[in-house]
Amino acid sequence: MDDSSLLSEFTLFLKEKKQEGIKVIAYLAHDNIPEELIDAAGFFPLRLIFGGNDELMDASHDFLPPSTCAFAQSCIGLFSVKPNDYKFLEMVDYIIVSNHCVSDICVSEIISKYFNIPRLNFYVSYTINENSLKYFKLELQDFRNQLEVIIDRKISDDDIHNSILKFNNFKKKFLEINELEMLGSEKLKLIHKSMLFGPDFLHDLENLIQKVKNAPQSVSNTSKDVLLTGCSIFINDNMIDLIEEGGGNIVFFDTWIGNHYYSQIIESNLIDRENDPLDVLVLRFKNNIYGDHSVPDFLEQKVSFIQKYFENYKKNKGRKLGVINHIIKFCDHISLMSSFLKETLQEKGIQVLNVERDYSRANRGQLSTRIEAYLEMMK
Amino acid sequence: MKTFIGIDIGSLATKIVLLSNGKMLDHRTERSTYDFKKIGHKLFDDLLEKNDLEKSDVFVMSTGYGRNTIDIADDRVTEITAHAKGTQYFFPDVHSVIDIGGQDSKAIVISKKTGNVVDFQMNDKCAAGTGRFLEVMAHALEVPIDQFGDLALRSNKSASISSTCTVFAESEVISLFARGASKEEIASGIHRSIARRVAGMSKRIGVGPKLVFCGGVAKNPAVKKYLEEELGYAVETPEFPQLTGAIGAALIAETNNSHKYS
Repeated sequence: MDDSSLLSEFTLFLKEKKQEGIKVIAYLAHDNIPEELIDAAGFFPLRLIFGGNDELMDASHDFLPPSTCAFAQSCIGLFSVKPNDYKFLEMVDYIIVSNHCVSDICVSEIISKYFNIPRLNFYVSYTINENSLKYFKLELQDFRNQLEVIIDRKISDDDIHNSILKFNNFKKKFLEINELEMLGSEKLKLIHKSMLFGPDFLHDLENLIQKVKNAPQSVSNTSKDVLLTGCSIFINDNMIDLIEEGGGNIVFFDTWIGNHYYSQIIESNLIDRENDPLDVLVLRFKNNIYGDHSVPDFLEQKVSFIQKYFENYKKNKGRKLGVINHIIKFCDHISLMSSFLKETLQEKGIQVLNVERDYSRANRGQLSTRIEAYLEMMK
Repeated sequence: MKTFIGIDIGSLATKIVLLSNGKMLDHRTERSTYDFKKIGHKLFDDLLEKNDLEKSDVFVMSTGYGRNTIDIADDRVTEITAHAKGTQYFFPDVHSVIDIGGQDSKAIVISKKTGNVVDFQMNDKCAAGTGRFLEVMAHALEVPIDQFGDLALRSNKSASISSTCTVFAESEVISLFARGASKEEIASGIHRSIARRVAGMSKRIGVGPKLVFCGGVAKNPAVKKYLEEELGYAVETPEFPQLTGAIGAALIAETNNSHKYS
């Protein structure tokens, strides 16, 4: 299924939701948005996980300077242009204004203000300590109140528990994608579809995972295995094609759209109906060690994680693993940490390619050269 | 005995070399046109004819911007790997390479132990710090490109060019003229801005001596001189700086395939 078919299928899916009277809450899909609360209130959580192109970036310049994160530019462009594949954005009822990064704030504020979509606020702390955990719980309570005002009723603790269980079970199944023997682009399609449709896709996901387990897909022996870190590859982005055309295969997605999301599993025994369900969500925030910048010593943790993965991969698979750090232009904090990440990993004997790009077609040739040259280095 | 051809299809020039037993036997260079294939075929046919060879006598490795578009190639390699190998043809003990071509500039660090690339850096998609930037500026100053470097070296001081964008730099040059700066001073400033930009990019990956400067822009004496000043040490230039990519591609073709023909 190509990305256009995925978006058509999603449009039909969302139309059905709307016909059932379900409202849609959109947000930039960072890891700390409490989608369980959105679900418990009877809304559909729509992650904005769509890549861009020249036209979308250009369209955003009426609202943002061109030196803003290219993903942020594209999100604005999508709401401004509403290309055919993205007509479903007209079905968005609310947008969450949050602060994962400066671009997150800009995009959500602009979408709300200039495209007349009512806002909901959910702000998170950049660090994890006792105070930020208390603050996170206050934000959850406030967010719950905002939702209750819209639906004009209380959201029961039981409903929140049920949603936590639903998303937790979905993520457990989703996590199995990491171990599947299949081409990276196919794996990414599965990740995209799962993150777009959410737990409604669980049954299909179970079947697809079982199918691949029964008949692993062959991947060329000559391709070079790669761990992708840094910025995510979003829907309708050709970055993964460039990697595969160059002879690489992404075996692990250490990104927002990938392991950062589905590894946030809460141990079942901690989801206790006797306790406040918001405390369970606070625990998820506390355990979010893969989050991009809400963890103290984030870089050290990232280096340690990649190093362990690299060593285990070599030991278990007997194959060398490359690391591509994908930097979407003007994504400030991924850019800032890229030199440190590369230097530190290279000191440990892990070769890293920092590849910075936006969604412009013009740099396709240079990107291919960088990726191919890196894969040649791995020979 | 099999002979090997390396063809480097760059954005401004196409280079082709014929090689056997590690020795370059013949070469051609011609300006690339929008039709990469046509110019590649022309040089290839000419090289075969002059050396009394058939297509079946040679193994062709393509490199450069148009490496994927040329249909005579049996295999392909990126210009980064090719330049690293090609500079070793002239300087076996090379540690680093700076290649400034028509469309991009690259810095490469080579392992002394294996001769392979260990790190590299390329310029962004814009033309600043490339041969194209020099061409545009030479045109703005109405100086033939092959005399541009010498003109810059005739000046004792360099006008300050602060713009990193080719389009803005062109406007800056016009305003420098309006303020009475000499052609030589401006030319010197333009060359310094390229050297500063490329040296800055190269330092980020730890380039060091012995550093070889190649690509078409390496023929320009002012860029070489200012690069040496920016880096703080001498820079070597091969006999045929524009050919290192094509030579590297041919050498890689020979290394990878010679066992098939022995």
